[in-house]
Amino acid sequence: MEKLLIKRKQSYAYSFKRRFSASKFLLLMIIPAIIYYAVFCYAPMYGVLIAFTKYSPKKGIMGSVTDNWIGFDNFKFIFNYPSFWTAFKNTLIIGSLKIIISFTSAILVALLINELRMRFFKKGVQIIVTFPHFLSWVVVASLFRLTLSETGGISYLVQQLGGQPLKFLSDGKLFLSLLFSSDVWKEAGWSSIIYIATMAGISTDLYEAANIDGASRIQKIWHVTLPGIRPTAILLLIMSVGGVLSAGFDQIYNLTGSLNNAIVLDSVQIIDVLIYQGTFGGGGLTMGQTTAIGLFKSLVGFILVITTDRIAKLCGERGII
Amino acid sequence: MAKIKIDKLPLARKERPGPSNRFGGFDVVLFIILLIFALLIIFPFYYLFVVSITPQEIYVNNPLTLWTPKITFDAYKSVFNDSRIWGGLKITLILLFGGTLYQMFFTVITGYALSRNNWVGKNFVMNMILVTMFFGGGLIPYYILIKTLGMINTIWVMIIPGAIDTFNMLLMRNYFASLPKELEESAKIDGANDVQIFVKIFLPLSLPMLATVGLFFAVGNWNSWYNGMLFNSSQNLKTLQQVLQDIVYTPSSGIPNPGKIRIDDESMKMAAIFFTIIPMMLFYPFLQRYFVKGIVVGAIKG
Repeated sequence: MEKLLIKRKQSYAYSFKRRFSASKFLLLMIIPAIIYYAVFCYAPMYGVLIAFTKYSPKKGIMGSVTDNWIGFDNFKFIFNYPSFWTAFKNTLIIGSLKIIISFTSAILVALLINELRMRFFKKGVQIIVTFPHFLSWVVVASLFRLTLSETGGISYLVQQLGGQPLKFLSDGKLFLSLLFSSDVWKEAGWSSIIYIATMAGISTDLYEAANIDGASRIQKIWHVTLPGIRPTAILLLIMSVGGVLSAGFDQIYNLTGSLNNAIVLDSVQIIDVLIYQGTFGGGGLTMGQTTAIGLFKSLVGFILVITTDRIAKLCGERGII
Repeated sequence: MAKIKIDKLPLARKERPGPSNRFGGFDVVLFIILLIFALLIIFPFYYLFVVSITPQEIYVNNPLTLWTPKITFDAYKSVFNDSRIWGGLKITLILLFGGTLYQMFFTVITGYALSRNNWVGKNFVMNMILVTMFFGGGLIPYYILIKTLGMINTIWVMIIPGAIDTFNMLLMRNYFASLPKELEESAKIDGANDVQIFVKIFLPLSLPMLATVGLFFAVGNWNSWYNGMLFNSSQNLKTLQQVLQDIVYTPSSGIPNPGKIRIDDESMKMAAIFFTIIPMMLFYPFLQRYFVKGIVVGAIKG
């Protein structure tokens, strides 16, 4: 028995060596990736230590950690900082509404395209609705800003019909609706693709059986198509939950014209905007404090993903982790 | 060898037989809803194009110009005469070609290495990479890192940190892994070495996926503005998107002044937007299936 164990160990060592030399080329190929992820992903993770320091650029991260360690003072500060909680609340509201709206709009568009029977029109529509995804938020925001501005065409039309000029860019509530609608405009078509592909994979037997049972089209959608895309939908939902605290810095930055729209900025002041302005925009926060906010955001996002994953698994779905 | 047909994606379910397969009222409703959605997407492009070729004084009298009685290319002239646009275009083209090649190289070799079985430490590296998809250091440590690396106010900050995109890398990895293993074995028997197997067998077979990933990178580079905004302040490092921000986000006076081209004219703004999206509009209809292929393969296997 013991001999056998030794033999197995030896053969393991042997195969380890052999595997090592056999995979020299692959190991060589992976070296850049190791360096890349170490430098651009793991070094910043190490950098979060400055959240526990009074960071001084002169001393650098190491120096600040040894000389200026202040424990949880930065966290105490941000948790007592009113703007932080406003931003946190805004982020949660905007982020979760965005997830719900984009989730439902993508499935809706997918259902519409999937059910449509005009092949030619279907192809054309798919090209059109997926296109905006590939535009930057700079372009999309510019399009919306110019089309919907108070002096723009739509506002003019509303005024001609006897309404008030539209204040999408100078009214907090209307601006929020602009946030959601531009998100749907840009992403709904593209996000629907994955659902359309999943729908195409649903067995036709199920539809035939439904036909025999005399199901209407709506009933077939409800009892066959939707259950068919459920695993995909839940997977995508779990993935998107991690981003709830991101809530779209790109979009807000551009729709407010480089954060220059002070009137609406209050209603869309999200965590990322707070971090950006606090550090670079004269917001008066120290780097230690904004790093603490960032770390808090990462942690909450991480916990949210894990929790959603667990809940999904408890409900008998396939999780991601 | 079976050619991989990229345009035969199962996007449209085969027409199902059955009693309800006739074009009926339900289809009309679907058609109308989708038509409205498509028109809502087209409208801003159409509107902006019409305004960009409309003389400013007509636009100011009727901002809802959906048809112009008089076509003028003054707005485009002022775009073409704007040195910022050409400077931005230069930087963006450097990113588009140089950056895309650089990103492709590192992303593809990483994907290939991770698609091969049985090398020491593969699982460790894979997990190390996957963790970064769910957890990151945040903006400030990243900023300090870039500063420490001396990349502030250089073009490198818009290229080097993009070496590997995890999503695209996984796309490549899944594609390589889906190719039959026998290819590698038989090539080895024929005496091919590792490099030859990768370059002469796997790369040519992966052309559709290489095209997809290359296009994703190219679009990303064409749209690049965030790193430039964050790390570069110099005017001659601005990308086309950043120049567009400068042009569009500067408030216009809104006062018509015939005969003189103003930098802040609405129509000039619209012309500038149109200038940055015209390449995408021209190519997208023909390339759409490659993008779609990427997302479908990535999500089903990833």
